[in-house]
Amino acid sequence: MTATEHQQQTNPLEEGLLLRRTPDPCALVIFGASGDLTHKKLMPALYALMLRRLLPARFAIVGVARTDGDDDAFRSDMKDAVQKHARDVFRKDVWDELAQNMHYVATDFADDGGENKLQDLLTKLDKERDLGENRVYYLAVPPAAFPTIVDELGKRRSASGWTRLIVEKPFGHDLESARELNTMLREHFEENEIFRIDHYLGKETVQNMNALRFANGIFEPIWNRQFIDHVQITVAESIGIEGRSGYYESAGAIRDIFQNHLLQLLALTAMEPPVDFTAESVRNEKVKVLKALHTPGPKSVVRGQYGRGYVEGEEVVAYREEQGVAPDSMTETFVAAKLYVDNWRWADTPFYVRMGKRLARRETTIAIQFKRAPHPPFGEVASEGLRPNVLLVHVQPDEGVSLAIGAKVPGQGMTIRTVHMDFLYGGAFRTSLPEAYERLILDTLLGDGTLFTRADEVEEQWLLVDSIVAAWQRDRPSFPNYAAGTWGPPSAEDLLQRDGRSWRRN
Amino acid sequence: MAAQLSAPAVVESWNGKDVKLGEVEAALAQLRAATASAGGPPNIRTSVMTHIAWVPEEWRDQARTALAGMAERHPSRTILLDPQPDSGKNRIDATVTLECYAVPDSERSICSEIISLELQGTRAKAPASIVEPLLITDLPVFLRWRGEPPWGSPELDQMVTLTDRLIVDSTEWDDLPYPYRRLVELYERTAVSDIAWSRTSRWRMLLASLWPGIADVSTIRVHGTQAQACLVAGWLRSRLGRDDIVFDVDERERLEGIDLDGKAAPFPPGDPPAPSDVLSDELDRFTRDPVYEAAVRAIAS
Repeated sequence: MTATEHQQQTNPLEEGLLLRRTPDPCALVIFGASGDLTHKKLMPALYALMLRRLLPARFAIVGVARTDGDDDAFRSDMKDAVQKHARDVFRKDVWDELAQNMHYVATDFADDGGENKLQDLLTKLDKERDLGENRVYYLAVPPAAFPTIVDELGKRRSASGWTRLIVEKPFGHDLESARELNTMLREHFEENEIFRIDHYLGKETVQNMNALRFANGIFEPIWNRQFIDHVQITVAESIGIEGRSGYYESAGAIRDIFQNHLLQLLALTAMEPPVDFTAESVRNEKVKVLKALHTPGPKSVVRGQYGRGYVEGEEVVAYREEQGVAPDSMTETFVAAKLYVDNWRWADTPFYVRMGKRLARRETTIAIQFKRAPHPPFGEVASEGLRPNVLLVHVQPDEGVSLAIGAKVPGQGMTIRTVHMDFLYGGAFRTSLPEAYERLILDTLLGDGTLFTRADEVEEQWLLVDSIVAAWQRDRPSFPNYAAGTWGPPSAEDLLQRDGRSWRRN
Repeated sequence: MAAQLSAPAVVESWNGKDVKLGEVEAALAQLRAATASAGGPPNIRTSVMTHIAWVPEEWRDQARTALAGMAERHPSRTILLDPQPDSGKNRIDATVTLECYAVPDSERSICSEIISLELQGTRAKAPASIVEPLLITDLPVFLRWRGEPPWGSPELDQMVTLTDRLIVDSTEWDDLPYPYRRLVELYERTAVSDIAWSRTSRWRMLLASLWPGIADVSTIRVHGTQAQACLVAGWLRSRLGRDDIVFDVDERERLEGIDLDGKAAPFPPGDPPAPSDVLSDELDRFTRDPVYEAAVRAIAS
């Protein structure tokens, strides 16, 4: 057989070896390279990928930021970041290999010809390292900077090689701005070239929701209105706004968490089984759920703002006392809502969701509460400790799944108590869980958009948020209405009590 | 990559001479109760498999080395079988150990059970009847057979019947490639892994990256073990559909290089895996590996 004939053949040596997908050679350009995200998440993730040999052999990282500096200063800064924030032990040999691929361009990209400097550097790297003109552009910058950058990148995109664009949240401020952003991106990039990050989707435990539902025959038959009484999704943080008042004042809890993380968790919980796990199949199913979400009425949504209180024994200030927050701010730091997914599977099954800052503890959980046994044949006293079965998915911390079941208390007679069967993620799989950004960056390099949000998903999410926020314009709640370190305002409790239910005991 | 491995926070042991299997189970229950902190929640008994290791005396130290740290990565019940058919006694002596590892950010621990059984005299003849009552129901059973299995023996035959996956290391065998012919006979009965094969994976990835040039290779010289040379040659023969590829071996303790038609192939990136990592990777696999089986058939024929 000639070399040309071999070339046309599939490589038979690769069969059985594809345990690990290897990205094509490429350059990763990070806009906002001097920012917190790059220091705390992106560079530690790239280091972790390099340590595990998951980056392509021919690879370059180009940091772009307004801060003055050069390659050496950038490498030194990023080395500090990795030593401080990486989940792995720092290895000099690994770092040196990564650092030699790192470069820096100081520019604000708007009016100093920075786009030319970047282009020149990328062309040089292409020649030196044979990167095939493949590019990943990571927009870790405020949305206001997107149009200029995207326009310049679009104009200069190469005819050969592939181009991918990672866009960080917030993706718009409302439906209109999200649509504008989508339109602007699509002027230069195809949908399959745009990777909108919702880092929750990169978490192992969020992906485990798919494994739990679709790899186990016992759950799917009862995953519906016939057997499930209701669902509770909690995204609780004990921290405050951590100096992000500029962003948070205009976003609030509904744009910061509800619009993206929370609705994604809900969509994964409620979606139909996809035919396969390709990006389009999964995202099609999630969009169907988002489209089926019933707009909640004003009585089905509670908002709150924290006042002073105690978190882990330490007194903390009220939201309005945080630096940079207006003393009369009406920004919500807590949202709870009762949502309905209007489809055959979930009709009349409430999804209670709550999220907020300065709550009693950090916890993200999805609780599936099943209907009670129709007729427990035990005495009232015997079964008073018995609660309904709850399948609890711990997204963070204590990643895992637990199932609350009724069991007989040992001894004479028949007393029933609720006990938990725990599957602790770290118990069965003692490999450390990868950080979400590791998975998401690697997926982008590989061109796999499954764990990213598609344009129509984002727009459906904003449609719901806009309808909730529109109703808020008509009243002015008395803020603050919950103390830091509690589980939100009393009205959040009322939301469930009206239905004869209560929030899961934390 | 594995999590940072740590020494177990709690180790509890029990041993007995001439024991019944019921005593072993009872000892495990007592040890589990003993490791729970007073008034605290019980420790979690999480298991993903039963791991049986057939470890004749001469392999005991290597087996211990490979097991170190593995319990933390694969919470399991490990049953170490030490056959002593010539001991002059007919009994089972047992040592039961519970190793508990702290769960980060939790008061709980995760415990793995290690049951070491000395099968003395006639008790070594029917090992499956001893192991079967100790298997964890519904979980996969992995059997690591140290040294060359006694092909056709009742002991091997019984144990293979119990097993979902047999793990061998043909580096431990003599007179290669002959034993591969006997190994092939087991393929229809259980999935088989060979640690010698796993140790070539970095090199196989590298060789695959040399496609299509490598398709015309005529000779290969492997600087490594005889087993690795056989398996790499078998792999190339089977994948390329060419039984005319000639190979020889420059014997080394580990795979240090491969020459293709007299020219050294580039060295693959990364570090070679530790023994416990290789075994650990094999314990993550559940199904037959047709590429490996074809490679062994190609060299055994």
